[in-house]
Amino acid sequence: MKNKMKIMVLDDEPIVCKRLKPALEKLGYEVDTFTQSVEALHQIHQTAYDIVITDLKMKEIDGMRFLEEVKKVHPETEVIVITGFATMETAKQSFKKGVFDFIAKPFKLGEIQEVVSRAAAKIKGPVS
Amino acid sequence: MLEKFRSLWNRIIRPKRPLVAFPEIFEHFQELLQDHQRVMELVADLGEKSGGEYIFDRKYLVDTTEQIQTLLLHMVQGLNLICANRYLELYSTIDRIFIPLESELRGRLSLSRDMPLVVPLESAPLDHPELTGGKANNLATVVQNLHLPVPPGFVITSRAYRLFLEHNQLEERIHAWLLDWASGEKDERQTSRQIQYSILAGVLPQEVASEIKRQSEKIGANLAIRSSAYGEDGELTFAGLHESLLNVPPRGLVRAYKQVLASLYSPEALIYRKEMGMLGEEAAMAVLAQVTVASRASGLVHSLDVSGREPDCLVIYASWGLGRTVVEGRTPVDRYVVERDYPHRLRHREIAVKETLVKPQSGGGEEVAAVPPGERSLPVLSEDAIQQLVRWALALERYFKRPQEIEWAQTDQGECLVLQCRGLAIPKSAARPQQDLCETCTQYPVLIRDVGVVAHAGVGSGPVAQVSSDVELDRFPEGAVLVTRYTAPWLARIVPRAAAIIAERGSAAGHLATIAREFRVPTLVGVEGAADLLPEGEKITVDTKQRVVYAGRVRELLQYELMQSTAFEDAPEFRLLRRLLARIAPLHLIDPTAADFTPQGCKSVHDVIRFIHEKAVEELMDLPRFVKRFKGVQIFTLVSDVPLGLKILDLGGGIDPEAQGNSLLPEQIRSLPLKALWKGVSGPGVWSTEPVPVDFKGLMSSLSKTWAESTGAAAVSGFNLAVITQTYMNLHLRLGYHFNLVDARIEPDPPRNHIYFRFVGGVTDLTRRSRRAQLLAKILSQYHFKVDTKGDLVVAKVLHLPQEDMEHRLQALGRLIGFTRQLDIQLRSDEDVPEFVDAFFQQGVPTPETKAQA
Repeated sequence: MKNKMKIMVLDDEPIVCKRLKPALEKLGYEVDTFTQSVEALHQIHQTAYDIVITDLKMKEIDGMRFLEEVKKVHPETEVIVITGFATMETAKQSFKKGVFDFIAKPFKLGEIQEVVSRAAAKIKGPVS
Repeated sequence: MLEKFRSLWNRIIRPKRPLVAFPEIFEHFQELLQDHQRVMELVADLGEKSGGEYIFDRKYLVDTTEQIQTLLLHMVQGLNLICANRYLELYSTIDRIFIPLESELRGRLSLSRDMPLVVPLESAPLDHPELTGGKANNLATVVQNLHLPVPPGFVITSRAYRLFLEHNQLEERIHAWLLDWASGEKDERQTSRQIQYSILAGVLPQEVASEIKRQSEKIGANLAIRSSAYGEDGELTFAGLHESLLNVPPRGLVRAYKQVLASLYSPEALIYRKEMGMLGEEAAMAVLAQVTVASRASGLVHSLDVSGREPDCLVIYASWGLGRTVVEGRTPVDRYVVERDYPHRLRHREIAVKETLVKPQSGGGEEVAAVPPGERSLPVLSEDAIQQLVRWALALERYFKRPQEIEWAQTDQGECLVLQCRGLAIPKSAARPQQDLCETCTQYPVLIRDVGVVAHAGVGSGPVAQVSSDVELDRFPEGAVLVTRYTAPWLARIVPRAAAIIAERGSAAGHLATIAREFRVPTLVGVEGAADLLPEGEKITVDTKQRVVYAGRVRELLQYELMQSTAFEDAPEFRLLRRLLARIAPLHLIDPTAADFTPQGCKSVHDVIRFIHEKAVEELMDLPRFVKRFKGVQIFTLVSDVPLGLKILDLGGGIDPEAQGNSLLPEQIRSLPLKALWKGVSGPGVWSTEPVPVDFKGLMSSLSKTWAESTGAAAVSGFNLAVITQTYMNLHLRLGYHFNLVDARIEPDPPRNHIYFRFVGGVTDLTRRSRRAQLLAKILSQYHFKVDTKGDLVVAKVLHLPQEDMEHRLQALGRLIGFTRQLDIQLRSDEDVPEFVDAFFQQGVPTPETKAQA
């Protein structure tokens, strides 16, 4: 069997993790979910993820700092930021670079599956 | 919240003026319409989110609820400005609706005083497992949503348990004893003994005791008393840890209740909770009391073979007498293996030699007895009973989205009942598919991909059954995939039987979508051409999560979905959303002349906006005020062969800007809804060919007087007025003694569209008027209106169809208004109704069906 891509989902609302995990696993990805940013940060140093999906507003470490940390450890990891509809514009402005894409909450399962597929295609790109 | 209210209150309280001037009214009315639309959109959004297609979080729920509240406050303010502060009471209505919504959002409602102490299964609030416990919440759902037969019973809620602890000052003592145990000072036996003793010695609060007495008297039979703890029968299984007492006579109920409560603290239960890391959490127990069925036979159904040997089969276990024999599994029982696929062939059966049975003991309790020798080797279940149990098991599995274990019983008369249902624990080895699901799915031909809108997310499979008229409803096979061109409200009846639904029209906020979500049926709407692509009888698999329709039964995908850990429908956030929706979306206020059509009568957000809209329009239509208020305002009179004397008030874009003077020709109407309706009203044969009774002309002439002339006595009958914009119409027509109201919006974006029609009154007795209401209801439902009738009142609405379909319906409505204007006189018996329905459709205008195919 081919090697599955690894995805990390970080959102402090458990429902987001609970729903994203099966939706992405169904597409053949391996998914780890976290509701605590500190734990997720710890995990980043243990495992190299191909894709990280993170919420923006979180207690302790916010999405922006998390992105920096991820990129520091694994520059090739693609990061997708999910954020409330209201904070979308500010989010886009503050992340000048380094983010693969933004998604506003609430979003459709199909939307995130599509963004993840694009990120996966980008990662695989040079090989095929 | 309270501050918002105060500031608004202060702004509202100003010196009353006798009448508000037109420009102001105009502005507030426009704003009301916009707010109304916006609230309906937010409510529709919430409904849509409950279908599982979206990922949302609690913040979304909090924000949306807040937005709705702000808009409602604005609407109440607007209405009071229009109506000179006559509806200030609505502010407390909004508080009454939003205070519980806010406590829901803060998670504090379940144990609040609003919640019942004791409640029958048929009226227990759903989606409150922390109140009624997992077992009772499931059963209440089976009774209320799936309508399967369940022995009557009631729930003594966890709120009653809390009250019992408080009343006996047990809470802190139990906590202290548990701490002693956790720190190793005492062992679990001592701890258990202490706690159980003090619970059994406790006194039930008077209100709990009298409620239990009242409910048990209503049932009037011996009861089975069982625990229904939160989490039980869910992800955590306490099976067998808590006590069940069977065949308890009424006088023993209080004692039995306390015994079941005490079993929450048995040594085994304590150890289990410690191991699960739940000791710190407060244990709250609801208790279920249900009639003990003196069953001839009973047993279990597993909707999936847990051994994994026959994954395409259900397994039924059966034995004589009460259910303990099968559940405890100590003696051999019958085993029937039945195919999950229709026609559910019995693959094989093992008939055991059943030597003993359990039966109720006179005076309470149970006893073991010998099975008469001649019956020991007989099969317990007939083919009919097997088929019934299989259908129920699959329906329960479709609803709960997980393999089910069902306890059933059969009465002496052969009637089967569901006693319990819960998720079936599947061994981990059976749960995980070995192959890659994506690759497997690519082996099945795709019939439809990426088309349509998800109304409810999920996967379902079955043969295609196309339904295009209500006569086909009874032939709809259980577990088929419903394919339909329209989302007509009469389809609601078969929704619970469908494995999935595909509709060519409709929106995710429409009526069919709402019903589909209620019954958790995977549903795609707006799939154009589906009826042609999916031939009758073909087996298909519908995955609405991915918006794919496969040919054949994609077993691997169905299996995968069944084996997920929790169905999204049962996640706490979705329960919360449904609880919010139950206080927001339903419309209870249908009849504006009913006694409860008041601010106090408003039970939901929808009721409030309905009330506001009605009252704002009423104010606008109030003739004496209207005459004063609209002095100097441009009101047009429609000049036409149809003698209605219709007055038109244009709020923007509704008429030809070139229009001069006070009169208007039909071709100068620009308002889409009025144009369409008028096309129907003025169609050939609609107004002139019917025989007109002698007094009719007189009536019409009084009506066609201009509004300026009609003062004094004539004012009582009101006048005919359309308030329009380019896309909106609110039309009041009083014809003779009956009254039509049409409120409609037609825009290019279907989700904004609606037609609301109300018809009431007549000159004849109520029976004949009711006949006319029946007639209207029959005709309107053929046009896919959702129709409610009450006596001679007809309320019909249709939502979210594309512009062309809406226009077609308004045109039909116009014809109908003409057709029915004096019809009550002619409807002499109930048999006349179908005849007149035919007459309407034979007038040479396309019927809904011919139109649909055109």
